[in-house]
Amino acid sequence: MRPTHSGTMSKVKNKKRNLEENEDEQLPIFDKDGGKDGHLDDGDEDQGDLSDSEESVFSGLEDSGSDSDDEEEEEDDDEEEDGTEEKSSDVEEDKAADGDGDDQLSAKEVTEPQTDGQHSKEKKKKKKTAGKEGGEESVVSARDSGLQTSSQVDEYEHDTSDEEDIRNTVGNIPMEWYKDYPHIGYDLDGKKIFKPIRNKDELDEFLDKMENPDYWRTVQDKMTGADIRLSDEQVDLVHRLQEGKFGDVNFNEYEPAIDFFSNEVMIHPVTNRPQDKRSFIPSLIEKEKVGKLVHAIKMGWIKPRRPKETTPQYYDLWAKEDPNSILGRHKMHVPAPKLKLPGHEESYNPPPEYLMSEEERLAWEQQDPEDRKLSFLPQKFACLRAVPAYSRFIHERFERCLDLYLCPRQILSFFLLFFIQVNVNPEDLIPKLPKPKDLQPFPTTQSLVYRGHSSLVRSISTSPSGQWLVSGSDDCTVRFWEVSTARCLKTVEVGGAVKGVAWNPNPSICLVAISYDDTVVLLNPGLGDRLVSTATDQLISSYEEPEEVKEQPVQWTVAEGEGHEQGHRLILKHPKAVRQVTWHGKGDYLACVMPDNGSSLQVVIHQVSKRRTQNPFRKNKGLVQCVSFHPIRPYFFVATQRYVRVYNLIKQELTKKLMANCKWISSMATHPGGDNVICGSYDCRLAWFDLDLSTKPYKVLRHHKKALRSVAYHRHYPLFASGSDDGSVIVCHGMVYNDLLQNPLIVPVKVLKGHTITHDLGVLDVTFHPTQPWVFSSGADGTVRLFT
Amino acid sequence: MSQVQARFFTENTKYLIDDVPFSIPAASEVVDLSGVINKLLEAKNDGHKHVEFDFLVRGQFLRTSLANHMETENISTEEVVEIEYVEKFTAPQPEECIMHDDWISSVEADSEWILTGSFDKTARIWSMEGKAVMTVAGHTDVVKDVAWVKRDGLSSLLLTASLDQTIMLWEWNSERNKVKARHCCRGHAGSVDTVAVDPTRTKFCSGSWDKMLKIWSAGMFSLEHSTRCLIQKDKMNIHLQQRKQLNDTPLMTFSGHNEAVSSVLWMDAEELCSASWDHTIRLWDAETGGQKNTITGSKVFSCISYSPLCRRLASGSTDRHVRLWDPRSKDGSLVLLSLTSHNGWVTAVRWSPSLEHQLVSGSLDNVVKLWDTRSCKAPLYDLAAHEDKVMCVDWTENGLILSGGADNKLYTYRYSACVSDAGA
Repeated sequence: MRPTHSGTMSKVKNKKRNLEENEDEQLPIFDKDGGKDGHLDDGDEDQGDLSDSEESVFSGLEDSGSDSDDEEEEEDDDEEEDGTEEKSSDVEEDKAADGDGDDQLSAKEVTEPQTDGQHSKEKKKKKKTAGKEGGEESVVSARDSGLQTSSQVDEYEHDTSDEEDIRNTVGNIPMEWYKDYPHIGYDLDGKKIFKPIRNKDELDEFLDKMENPDYWRTVQDKMTGADIRLSDEQVDLVHRLQEGKFGDVNFNEYEPAIDFFSNEVMIHPVTNRPQDKRSFIPSLIEKEKVGKLVHAIKMGWIKPRRPKETTPQYYDLWAKEDPNSILGRHKMHVPAPKLKLPGHEESYNPPPEYLMSEEERLAWEQQDPEDRKLSFLPQKFACLRAVPAYSRFIHERFERCLDLYLCPRQILSFFLLFFIQVNVNPEDLIPKLPKPKDLQPFPTTQSLVYRGHSSLVRSISTSPSGQWLVSGSDDCTVRFWEVSTARCLKTVEVGGAVKGVAWNPNPSICLVAISYDDTVVLLNPGLGDRLVSTATDQLISSYEEPEEVKEQPVQWTVAEGEGHEQGHRLILKHPKAVRQVTWHGKGDYLACVMPDNGSSLQVVIHQVSKRRTQNPFRKNKGLVQCVSFHPIRPYFFVATQRYVRVYNLIKQELTKKLMANCKWISSMATHPGGDNVICGSYDCRLAWFDLDLSTKPYKVLRHHKKALRSVAYHRHYPLFASGSDDGSVIVCHGMVYNDLLQNPLIVPVKVLKGHTITHDLGVLDVTFHPTQPWVFSSGADGTVRLFT
Repeated sequence: MSQVQARFFTENTKYLIDDVPFSIPAASEVVDLSGVINKLLEAKNDGHKHVEFDFLVRGQFLRTSLANHMETENISTEEVVEIEYVEKFTAPQPEECIMHDDWISSVEADSEWILTGSFDKTARIWSMEGKAVMTVAGHTDVVKDVAWVKRDGLSSLLLTASLDQTIMLWEWNSERNKVKARHCCRGHAGSVDTVAVDPTRTKFCSGSWDKMLKIWSAGMFSLEHSTRCLIQKDKMNIHLQQRKQLNDTPLMTFSGHNEAVSSVLWMDAEELCSASWDHTIRLWDAETGGQKNTITGSKVFSCISYSPLCRRLASGSTDRHVRLWDPRSKDGSLVLLSLTSHNGWVTAVRWSPSLEHQLVSGSLDNVVKLWDTRSCKAPLYDLAAHEDKVMCVDWTENGLILSGGADNKLYTYRYSACVSDAGA
């Protein structure tokens, strides 16, 4: 008998046999489980079981294998037949042992076998599918049987080597072949085994069914044709199988499962099965698949996956620290200076000793705001509720906004100084000034000397065309020179040492303002275009007196007689000595300075066309040194000894106050752009103010050895010059850029010497030629010199 | 290097020597070389008198030792040096010193008469001997420039330009010694600093501080016509009015300069050249009034002079240099040569009318210098007679150099060397 597929089935068979035996020999043998036949069978079965178990295990592994189904089907059929054979043989044996038992029973069996066989067949099939489906079950059962075999003592003792039914030797043939014969087969001795006498007809059958209580458990043995009455155990087994339960009562189908295929890596393979041959043969299907993919990639239907961004993205913690980064710009922190803590005097209800007395208050009001110890007047209020709103709030906010507006430039210079310092040698910190050679043109040599004055020349001025030069001297004369030849073309005597001369900057007016003592004379030199000269005369003579004459601080008179012959046109008598005269760019306004410590009438502005004079300032803010008009805007610069105040003439208010930090300001000049001012001082300094930048000097130059007397800007070239008591004129390159972020470039380019020092005085005035890079200087030696 | 191989040659047939190379000491200077030549000449003909020679090595005058010169000029000492020798230009001989009452602003001389303009508002006519012939007074201000227009026998036409913004055309009869104002040209709005008569002698150009150049007619009325006008006294007023109208309107006005015009001249009948304070020299087409070329310098130009012989412009500016320009070059700012020796502004330059290489310049440093362009490092002669600024120079065709200055003196020099050289 070939090993069956399912271990359980063999067991069932086993049991069946045992049942049959038990039927005959009554239970004890079965109970002992050591029945001779059973042993025999068992042993045989066990062998099959062993092999079975192996296979079942394997089949469990390979349970998805679909191709094996048919085979199994076939096997099943075989088994069925086997099973029936076995049974029949069993029955035969029984019979033999019983020695021809019940006829009825056997008769019954004849009728029944088909159905029963079918029954069993179905059951077996069920089993098989169950076994197939639950590989584990079969495994378990296999083990079970394995256990059983191990319990056997000697399995080969009664080995009959085959499973052939020894009672009938026809073999495994369809029994209907013997249908028409009286015998049913041959026994071991070759004698016919005769069919039991079956003379039962339908009626008998029926009667039997009715009468025989064991009819329902009687089956016919096909091999022998005898009826067999099934024992209780067998019936029970049949019932169990019908119910779809395991045949073995003791079998526990819910035993805990042992996980063979766990995550644990075992050192030995679970199966010893050699690898399939197909695993060594390249798969055609795979090859085809790969080929398709390759083609698709080639055709561009499949695009390679975009490479992942490999650069990691970090949060830039220091992004705000770098001043050059975009974020960093917003966080440029310039720490504000620490504020003084408020004191008692700032309280709304200060102790009485902090309050100012009447005299103190008056004194406080008299002082300049910057000289005051306290910037405010301590005030007493009864309660906090009574304190009024801060009056300067808006003003201070505005100032603050202005500061912020100009902050970047300050910061830029700050960073240039302190950031670069880290890893740069100090020499690089010195700004790289261009070489003077590259900054040409600028005056380098003395070209002409204008000789004629017998005393020191206090003031010089050039005509707007640059053809003429006027100089005023202490020898009470004013001389007019031709610039190109140094020829004195005209000498005008005035009644005193000339302190200031100023040529009207308007080219269509030919007027020179001359100040001596307390008089300012407007003089028409009659040089240049005759038409202009006569037009100027007409302009002055065509003046009509206004109907209502205002009280004016200055007396205007028209020159007549000899004075008129000399060119005098208008004479302005001032209350005090006039030190400086300066024209507004349009040539109508003339500012005069009368330095006086006590009076508020220090600066007067004349309007020539209307012959009007006004005193713009009511208060005396210190000794006025010089004044200047803004070249473009209606601003007016007033230099006192230490400060330069910038007034807005239209709004009539103080716009700015520049602190020169020197003692004392002697002269001042305004850049033609109007945003820069230079101040010369008696302590040898020249301070350059950038009005946009700060109220403090942008740069202070200390090149002169003695007090500066005069400073001047060139109208077109980026040049400025300063004249000093040491007899030298220093010319500097002063480039002002339109870009607000670029600071002016200041480079000293030339020291011009020529004047001899007389009475400790050197150069008294400097002025530039209006069109050429030439500078004139007048000195205490009575000469005017031209440097080109 | 102690000896140099040199071959001497000259174009003056009077002083020819054998064309053989000599070995001469490298340290020898002009005097030594001159001695060598003189000795050679003496050996050749007995009646030779000592003559001073000047030497040209590759077109440059020898001024230092031969070795030095060759080193600076990068001349190889290996080969034979070609040295040209010419009779040394004898120094200009001072002839006259003519005193004026005031600074002399301008001078122009022809073969017979000297015309000077002065700061005393007059122009004066002098004879070659320095005799005051005529004073032309009429201007109300300084006379800035003077010019001869033409001479018809005894009567001459002359021009004076003044600070009073007018140019006056005068007629001067040398026989009767009378001067008459022919026209007064008004039109400039500034002092007229310069005036120049065109080669055809029919019109003149004036440059002014008002940045304008104006061309006026000089030959509108012939002398006869004007005399007839004078005779017909009844019609005189009408004619005067006509004349006035004609002369009050210039033929042409050139505007283009950004600053005052300091000097103007005619290059030929159709071409004008003007120098200005705006650092440019401009060339104008006198017919169309168009600008032809611009030469840009770095300083104010105060005077220019043009030589038709070498076709160069010489300019003096408000620095120490006399610069030579090629007016035809397209690259308008290329200085051909800079002659530097003055210590003050160069106020006047004048090319020699007959010598190709020579010019004279006057400067604010009181010195008049005679230059040869072949010796650009140093002038040929310094004429240091003036005690104050030199304002003007002139060079006549018959070899007279004139210079006037702020010391009220007009010096004349006879430059004779050029005559012999020219004759050679």
